[in-house]
Amino acid sequence: MSHKPDAPNGLTRRELGRLLGVSAGLACLAPLTGCNSLWERQSVIPVDGWHKGVCRFCGTGCGVMIGVTNNKVVDVKGDDEAHNRGRLCIKGLATRDILYSEDRALYPMIRKDGELQRASWDEAMTLIAQRFRESIETHGPASVAFYGSGQLYTQESYTANKLFKAGIGTNNVESNARMCMASATTGYTATFGKDEPPGCYEDMDYADCFFITGSNTLECHPILWERVRDRKRSHPGTKIIVVDPRKTFTARHADLHLPIHPGTDVSLYNAMIYVFLQHNFIDRDMVENYLTFKDGEESRTFEEFKRHIAKYTPEAAAKTCGITPRDIREAAFLFATSKATMSLWTMGLNQQVQATHSNRLVSAMHLLTGHFGRPGATPFSISGQPNACGGVRDVGTLSHALPNGRLIANPKHREEMEDLWKVPRGRISPKPGYHTVQLFEALGRGDVKCCLVMCTNPGQTLPNVTAYRQGMEKAFLVVVDAFYPTETTKFADVVLPAALWVEKEGVTGNGDRRYHLYPKLVSPPGEVKSDLAILVELADRLGHGDLISARTPKDVWDEWRKISSHSAYNFEGITYERLQKERGLQWPCPTESHPGTKRRYLPGQDPMATGSGRFDFYGKHDRRATIWLDRQEEPVDPYADEFPLILNTGRILEHWHTMTITGSAPTLKGIQPDYLEIHPYDAYQAEVKDGDPVIVKSRRGEVELRARITEIVRPGMVFATMHSCRHLINQVTHDVYDPFSKEPAFKRCVVAVRRKSA
Amino acid sequence: MMHHDRSYGRPLSLLVAFLAGIWLTGTTAWAYEAHDAVSDVDVFRGLGIAASVAGILLLIFVQYVYRKRIRHGTYHRLLLVGVFLLPVTATWSTTTTVMEGTKMVQACASCHVMDPFVNDMKNQSSPTLAARHYRNNWIAKDQCYACHVTYGVTGTLAGKRDGFRHWLHYVTDTYPDPIQYVGSYSNSNCLSCHRGTNKWERVKSHQALLGELSADRIACITCHGPPHPLPDERAAAAANRTALVVKPRE
Repeated sequence: MSHKPDAPNGLTRRELGRLLGVSAGLACLAPLTGCNSLWERQSVIPVDGWHKGVCRFCGTGCGVMIGVTNNKVVDVKGDDEAHNRGRLCIKGLATRDILYSEDRALYPMIRKDGELQRASWDEAMTLIAQRFRESIETHGPASVAFYGSGQLYTQESYTANKLFKAGIGTNNVESNARMCMASATTGYTATFGKDEPPGCYEDMDYADCFFITGSNTLECHPILWERVRDRKRSHPGTKIIVVDPRKTFTARHADLHLPIHPGTDVSLYNAMIYVFLQHNFIDRDMVENYLTFKDGEESRTFEEFKRHIAKYTPEAAAKTCGITPRDIREAAFLFATSKATMSLWTMGLNQQVQATHSNRLVSAMHLLTGHFGRPGATPFSISGQPNACGGVRDVGTLSHALPNGRLIANPKHREEMEDLWKVPRGRISPKPGYHTVQLFEALGRGDVKCCLVMCTNPGQTLPNVTAYRQGMEKAFLVVVDAFYPTETTKFADVVLPAALWVEKEGVTGNGDRRYHLYPKLVSPPGEVKSDLAILVELADRLGHGDLISARTPKDVWDEWRKISSHSAYNFEGITYERLQKERGLQWPCPTESHPGTKRRYLPGQDPMATGSGRFDFYGKHDRRATIWLDRQEEPVDPYADEFPLILNTGRILEHWHTMTITGSAPTLKGIQPDYLEIHPYDAYQAEVKDGDPVIVKSRRGEVELRARITEIVRPGMVFATMHSCRHLINQVTHDVYDPFSKEPAFKRCVVAVRRKSA
Repeated sequence: MMHHDRSYGRPLSLLVAFLAGIWLTGTTAWAYEAHDAVSDVDVFRGLGIAASVAGILLLIFVQYVYRKRIRHGTYHRLLLVGVFLLPVTATWSTTTTVMEGTKMVQACASCHVMDPFVNDMKNQSSPTLAARHYRNNWIAKDQCYACHVTYGVTGTLAGKRDGFRHWLHYVTDTYPDPIQYVGSYSNSNCLSCHRGTNKWERVKSHQALLGELSADRIACITCHGPPHPLPDERAAAAANRTALVVKPRE
């Protein structure tokens, strides 16, 4: 074709060029016309802008992208750049709707004539300040208490801890994390001298054997489970061992399932160590240079440890645990001989009487076999709440603790914190406060007169809850929650409405020592205030305004990260600016240029490990980790003729904790957790048919549930969820607790089941 | 009359012989190769080639060999067949070939932007959804198309529009690397196979989310993904110019 200037259509070459140019220009403007929907595939939910955030629910701490339109959260999706690789579970997806629940508390309420009635903020805060002041002046600081949560942001927990311990002068500062991760804390501290896991989520990409004990990971931490499964999908030789009394969804995917009787973990782990010793699966260098052995307060030698373990033959343990010796041996072989073994555990281990023992024995198995400190080889506890690690364990929002692993009982630790908080020496009371079960006992006795409950629901979650509800009834109870009503607001004298999730700003620490920033994206509804604002106002009204000088989330964080630099937790380098940019940062992270620490106690990787060997257990004076000689004890709540079954409690995928949030989410509220799993044998004995209403009875109380006949549970065992407020399983559970961690043993009590007569 | 009939019949018999030849070649190919060796695309391509060649031959024969020997009306009708009908057949065949051809994995792999996706899908140890569907033979053929059904002849207009947009961006080099999926993915691609299976039905969450899933307000891949390597993994693979190995494990 020739390009003659006098082409038939009359266009010159220049005109053609101009026309094309103008068309291209117009095409570029097309998006401005709103016609790009004709051009690009559109989202079903239109979103003005996407913002980086973190899921509100469990301790996994999944990164989310939050779509906001007109000051409203309209969509939530997984963040491709976060550790969850864009995945979210069904609860994470539901965060889209949680802010707009009908059950939101919108304004302050004060109980008048037995009824909660709407009040102004000033009225409510005046009343609270007056009652707290009166109580402190008449009965001393120990007559007031704070009961917080692993869901409060770090800034909020930190401010409460400082206000109560260094301001008011009481150590009655507790948190629901006592009922969740306290045993992991005591376990790690006993072994390594410092709390928090030595490994990280990334280890799941390298492990060749997973030892999952006391965790229904598939349902309770689905995103971590997917990562475990990814490892198995890409490396089919990867072995998964699951220790769980029930054949959970997790156990069904296991290569080896050990359905032990609840509370017999110590026997199992000791027997596995027996096999390690018998077959010489022991890392000699580790034993000689990096470990010490202890029995209570006394030191022991490795030979003495071997003699202690000699009693726990697989045959003996198999009888205690209700499994076969062959399975114990196989588990031990798989554990010891893999290239890298990773243990995962959560409430199944933590919520039992020998929880601390079980925790430290799992760590001991890793240390003895040398499955420690390499990618994929680590003990790793999973956390249940988004900020139990950051806000409670790191901040020390517990009655025996001070920030960064310090203890009330240690005078040097108290002095350090008094100096850092710039309060006079002796300001912090030397007497540890009441731990959770004791605290609610003290409310009942009248020793504690006023209690501020924030972001948690003890009216439902305490074990043997009926006994402690009286205490809540009796005391002056202030309940700060985003939802109303809850089982706890029934007993509240004042209810304050709190902001939820991205209605406020804050930092949380998830299960692998990773600090995240939650941005404030939308304004809270009604008269709702953030928990931090409420605490700051309370401090002002109680005359501690000077102490609580940091009043914005950023200021509190800056104060806190600088304080952390005086400890082995050092995360001074995790600045707000970095948090805004990064998908979380793992401490220790002492400087702004430090990338964060994936694995602890390794010289060269962990900035706190200054030694030169393979490991440096700097949490201990002798720089050696401790292996404890632990013995299986008899159950606290033994079988009786009238209570022939063991009750175990747990969760399901679709709900979270007491369902205050998930119970009103449109996608989740239809899923009923009110059932009792019972084995066909036991159902036959009790003459119960599937779907029958049954009464579960213990020495403490009874609850009605629907029978679900299933072989998921073993004969002799029944299972119920801890979710529903319509049927409180905690009226039945036992309030006995681990003597070290003071964490209640929700996972085992004896019960009887009978058919409800019509 | 006989003269006319014979001269009219000869080009037709030639055409029939030619088509039969093509057909035979095709059947021979079927006979010798594996059952999936001849796809729809091959058939359409064969028809198109046959129609084009037949059209050209017809024109040549009619114009230079038979013009004098046939009636004027027949001449015009044969020209019409050669000039119009056969080219239309060829055009239809070409379009269909392209439309069917783009369903094949090779078609996707021909654009280097797709390399990390296709390489990952064929990576035996990748945990992505695409790779798992591929290596477990959950989808027999056209593995890309099975989950991206908007293209093909029967696909939606939006699919063609997206294809055109992708092509424009590709040839003008104006696409962001790594590329990002825009808008909502249609869950019906997943549900068409999975819904109704025991495994799917017994998960309570699926029932609870059915409305949201059907409306694409929640994506299946949010819980079960990622379907392909993530943008940063693809970028790393592109930078190294290597086949994509999802993560440096071990």
